Amino acid sequence: MNALRTAALLLVAAAPLAAQRAMTGTVYGTARDSGGVAVAGAQIRVLPAGAAALTDSAGRYRLEGVSAGSVTVQAARIGFYPRRLVVQVAAGDSVRADFQLLANPLFIPSVIVTAAKRSQLVDQAVTSVALVGEQQIARRAVTTIDEAVDKAPGVQMIAGQVNLRGSSGFVQGLGSRVLLLVDGVPANQGDRGGINWDLVPVDQIARVEVVKGAGSALYGSAAFGGVVNLITRELPPGFHARLRATGGVFADPPHAVWGFRDYRGIQDGLDVAGSYGRGTVRAGLSAGARHSDGYRQQDRADHWQVTGRGEWRPAPATLVNLSGAWASDQYQVPEPWCVSGRCADQGQAFQPFLIDTANTGNRTRSDKGYFSAVVSRTASERTSWLVRGSWLRTDFTDRYPQRQPPTDFSIANRLGAEGRVVSHPDSLHTVTVGVELSHSSDESNIFSGDSILGTTRTHTEGAYAAYAEAEQVIGRLRVTIGARTDFLTVDGGGITAFLSPRAGAVWPTATGSWRASVGRAYRAPSLAERFVTTYALGFRVIPNPGLRSEDGWSAEVGRTWTAAAWLRGDAAVFFTRARNLIEPVFISQQAVIQFQNVQRAQLLGLDLSVVASPLTPHLTTTLAYQLLDARDLSSDSVLLYRPRHLLTLSADYAWRSFGLGGDCRVSSPFERDPLFGDRQVAGRVLDLRAGWTAGPWAVHAKVANVLNYIYNLGPRILEPVRTATITFTFSY
Amino acid sequence: MLMVLGCDDGLTPRPTPDACPPGFVGICGTVTFRGGVPDSTDAVYIVAYATFPTTADDLFLFLPVPPPSLPLDSVGTSGGQHYQLPLPNGSYAWVLAAWKKVGLISPANADSLLREAGYYRDPSDTTRPGTVVVNGAGTDAIDFVVDFTNMHPVSFYFP
Repeated sequence: MNALRTAALLLVAAAPLAAQRAMTGTVYGTARDSGGVAVAGAQIRVLPAGAAALTDSAGRYRLEGVSAGSVTVQAARIGFYPRRLVVQVAAGDSVRADFQLLANPLFIPSVIVTAAKRSQLVDQAVTSVALVGEQQIARRAVTTIDEAVDKAPGVQMIAGQVNLRGSSGFVQGLGSRVLLLVDGVPANQGDRGGINWDLVPVDQIARVEVVKGAGSALYGSAAFGGVVNLITRELPPGFHARLRATGGVFADPPHAVWGFRDYRGIQDGLDVAGSYGRGTVRAGLSAGARHSDGYRQQDRADHWQVTGRGEWRPAPATLVNLSGAWASDQYQVPEPWCVSGRCADQGQAFQPFLIDTANTGNRTRSDKGYFSAVVSRTASERTSWLVRGSWLRTDFTDRYPQRQPPTDFSIANRLGAEGRVVSHPDSLHTVTVGVELSHSSDESNIFSGDSILGTTRTHTEGAYAAYAEAEQVIGRLRVTIGARTDFLTVDGGGITAFLSPRAGAVWPTATGSWRASVGRAYRAPSLAERFVTTYALGFRVIPNPGLRSEDGWSAEVGRTWTAAAWLRGDAAVFFTRARNLIEPVFISQQAVIQFQNVQRAQLLGLDLSVVASPLTPHLTTTLAYQLLDARDLSSDSVLLYRPRHLLTLSADYAWRSFGLGGDCRVSSPFERDPLFGDRQVAGRVLDLRAGWTAGPWAVHAKVANVLNYIYNLGPRILEPVRTATITFTFSY
Repeated sequence: MLMVLGCDDGLTPRPTPDACPPGFVGICGTVTFRGGVPDSTDAVYIVAYATFPTTADDLFLFLPVPPPSLPLDSVGTSGGQHYQLPLPNGSYAWVLAAWKKVGLISPANADSLLREAGYYRDPSDTTRPGTVVVNGAGTDAIDFVVDFTNMHPVSFYFP
């Protein structure tokens, strides 16, 4: 009897709960942007004042206890337009509601990490910063990150070399004047100082920060013209997978007389990534491969890669991050193109799709990898610190079947370490101090420095640096001053010191901010430039161990403004005067070629970018323009391989799950080609794209160089022809 | 925008020229070959000297740097080979073809690796080199013969 009474009481007591359950349901789903990328931290709320939740790092959410019936659910996040969906919730059941959020093009990501080697608001940076976001990377359907960076304001890639405001020109891959970082870790090659853009798969990049202008005050050598920081995706909790498949075809040459093959060239690629996170530990692994037939004769390329990453948070304020990547490339060398008499020229003065028969069979194998370990800790509200160690290895072999010696090789290892402390003594001051060490070694038969061609030698370079930068707020003015001292030693010899100061200020206004900065820049010669021992064009190229560093001063004044709710702009006037620029020189008396410090140069220009969303928030348009006056002061002539005008126009229209867009890039022709005296043409390239996203699936189609415009930026190096690409992405 | 993109054709096919193209600054002409290409040939370069070299030390004061090499496909045929030599404005006292043997050049071995294989001759006195003037455009018809059967080493000029 007692048992029956108890059971009855329980039933009575549970009845309202059961009834309530019977009257409510669950809403779950995801929030993604129009590129199919998960949007974390979006607030999902039942209107007007119902259940609410935030999406996790995979963009997933779950709302329980939602009243049955027709309900309105809203997703909102800063940087996106809010979106509402009406869903029918069945009592005791669940319903899926996936949000696709439309990015607000006028929103600027609030935090950057590169310009000051610490987190700061982007409008507090004293130098110009261009950002390439995950969404831009996804919708451009690029295969390597340099393709995405190429369209950023003030950036131009010339045959794989990055130019920030005309800093590098074309230097045959030796001695980049731009520093590449991967999550803040330097990644320029230890021998040549150049950049491997395919070191990190494009699918792993969350955003790219491009800091323009001299960055030596914080980053030392190689940051002469600026810094490009590749920031990889965060590892979300739970299990996630991602698959990206790409296929494409190259157009044939637009003129039959340039024909060079009887089949259609294709390219394809596959990337697979998975990650798992639980508690304080997260890890991810990705692997991928690409193949391309190329768009020229002898232009096939194969690429394989694997990347891994792990995170461990031993304490709430401490993060241990391990990451590494390995990539291998094997490719034929299709440059330079053939001129009359040097191939089956069909009576043509030049054949841009054919190679000189003397270069038949030239190919390269290039392996590279890196590993880095970073420990960071927020010790208190006022102080945080970071220590890191890194290892970068590059190993290439160039094969020349028709030359003696038939191979050049170089194996370079670069070890790096850094310790950094960021302190905020009070709300008006920020101080960043750090030390940085690196040691590069290179075993090579082309960078040997030996008088006998083909001899293998090893050279080393040690760099030791200390830097400090302080920021103080005085009224509305934010003033930054700092300096870095670098000590450099080559092969254990004497130490060369270099001081790179920088000062800057930011003045906020009602509609934006003014910024100004001036700083000294330097670049130490790469081991390759010092010790190259080969021959070119029948002449010996001899080493110059006594090469000095390039140095210069760089300044800019910039303005960011928001003219209307649909219009934002940024403009900067910049100036650089440099000396001791390293160039190859023919020494008549010895009949040899040698890298020497010869050039004085001046770069003066305007960098302008405007983002507008006129008529409708679904339409985003951007304009980026750079006017550059680049002078070689040594010879009072135009500095080579820098276009005077560089214009990029972009437009994207997003409607529901669909997106359409395009980029148009126009660059004025270089004045002359000094190497061959060839006529130069302007660069005029139109890219069109379309995308569709449905839940975890995304498809992006792109036609690059729609007009199949044939041109070159480097000497007798043909730029890509029309290429149609389609990319499928699945994210779990 | 399409108008902007469409107003330039970019690079287009251009038949092998028999004269300097528009906008070219330098000299152009036709080289005809005599004899067969020697087995040890590395390249045949065309170079110009502002003044005639007076010593072996002047030998490498040529323009342009690097020098273009001549295609040798038309050797053994009756046809000539057109060439273009980009040069800055000025007067050039010696325009010649330099045959180079396989190997690395240095001042020490120039005599064994280099030969004068032919040069542009003064039309009024074909025993002497002809002077060529470049003045902001292409100077045409600087024709001469490359004679592989009658080449001269450096020591021929600078004993």
